[in-house]
Amino acid sequence: MELSWSTFILEIINFLVLVWVLKHFFYRPVLDVITRRRREVEKTMTDAKALEEQAEQLKQQYEGRVAEWKEERQQARDALSRELETERTRRLKVLQQELEQTRARAQATEESRLAVATRAIEASALEQGARFATRILEQAAGPELESRLIDLFLDQLSQLPDEKLEGLRRQQASEPTRISVITAYPVPEQLRTSLTQSLMAVSGADQPPDFETNPDLIAGIEVTLGAWKLAANVRDELKGFRGFEHHV
Amino acid sequence: MADNSLAIAPVFSLGPLDITSTVVTSWVITAALALFGWLVSRRLQPDPGPLQTAIEGIVLAIEDAVTEVAPQYVSQLLPFVGSLWIFLVIANLVGLVPGFNSPTRDLSATAALASLVFLSTHWFGIRIRGFRGYLRHYLTPSPILLPFNLISEITRTVALAVRLFGNMMSLEMAALLILMVAGFLAPVPILMLHIIEALVQAYIFGMLALIYVAGGIQSQH
Repeated sequence: MELSWSTFILEIINFLVLVWVLKHFFYRPVLDVITRRRREVEKTMTDAKALEEQAEQLKQQYEGRVAEWKEERQQARDALSRELETERTRRLKVLQQELEQTRARAQATEESRLAVATRAIEASALEQGARFATRILEQAAGPELESRLIDLFLDQLSQLPDEKLEGLRRQQASEPTRISVITAYPVPEQLRTSLTQSLMAVSGADQPPDFETNPDLIAGIEVTLGAWKLAANVRDELKGFRGFEHHV
Repeated sequence: MADNSLAIAPVFSLGPLDITSTVVTSWVITAALALFGWLVSRRLQPDPGPLQTAIEGIVLAIEDAVTEVAPQYVSQLLPFVGSLWIFLVIANLVGLVPGFNSPTRDLSATAALASLVFLSTHWFGIRIRGFRGYLRHYLTPSPILLPFNLISEITRTVALAVRLFGNMMSLEMAALLILMVAGFLAPVPILMLHIIEALVQAYIFGMLALIYVAGGIQSQH
């Protein structure tokens, strides 16, 4: 247990040497390696964090792009829907117009067909009526009917307008012609006299008319005065009846 | 060096200096640590192997211990405190190797280490806080405590030296007595206790040294 000063001093020196040696050849290299590794780890962590932030940014960009794409897709879909609706409406309108035109044409065709059929029926009815009336009048016609028609002629003659009477007289004055009277039956004398007087008074002629008979008249009278023709007979009335058929 | 007695006899003399087995063993330990440190420092890799991992673990453990006590002065204190721990662990355990004696069973060696701790406390305190600032801490919290602070400086240094010396010397003495009384294999449990005691005493000495030095630096912080 004695304290050796030699040992004491040498131990102090020895330990100081040990501290110096370990400081330079042990602690410093080891701590340097640890520091470098920590820096590398920190750098790796920093890089990883930067990469993570970058990835997060990319993710946000991607999500933004996806959202934009979705919005664009929705807009395109809406535009397409509107376009389809517009096209559908336009085509429907065109189709409706074509349908209306077709319907109008069909209606016109039907109306035309009905009009033609109506005209044909009316013409047939008139024709049949004319034939029937012709047959009846041919069987029922006689001197009495003719006398009444001549009376009717005379009444109408007396009721002619003044301008017509004036025209007849001017023609007769400028170009004198004989008055031709055609009847279906021979005119009785008394009635012939009345006719002669009336016709000469109306036309201003100085010659008595020529009387002829034509059974085609069925009954009645036909007077020809130059370019003028006055008639009151069954044949002309039936002709007028048939003419009315064509007029219809 | 293979002397089994507790006496520390000089092995040889170097002029006026007597070279004892304690000094020779300390030289051997220092040389071995220097060689080991040099070899290890040449083979340090960014991707560490098992040995480098263990070494880095030891250094980081020392660094963490210093950081917990004096986080602002790790780079200044780590070489001294770490060397104390490493040297004392090996010096305490080297007595288990046949033919070697623990340097810490010699009061001269433990006194030298305790004296270094005493001087280091003042060295680091004056270096970091300045001479006046360091001396002022003896007057805190009251100038009346100055004598007690001065006595404390001496007594704790003596206690540091005697504690380590007494524990290590008593362990070897107990093992020697049991060997002499009971036979060849009887001291084995005592030797196992020696390992634990060696580690504990190294830790206590180094930690107390760290606390003393850190106390000298941070007494007013």
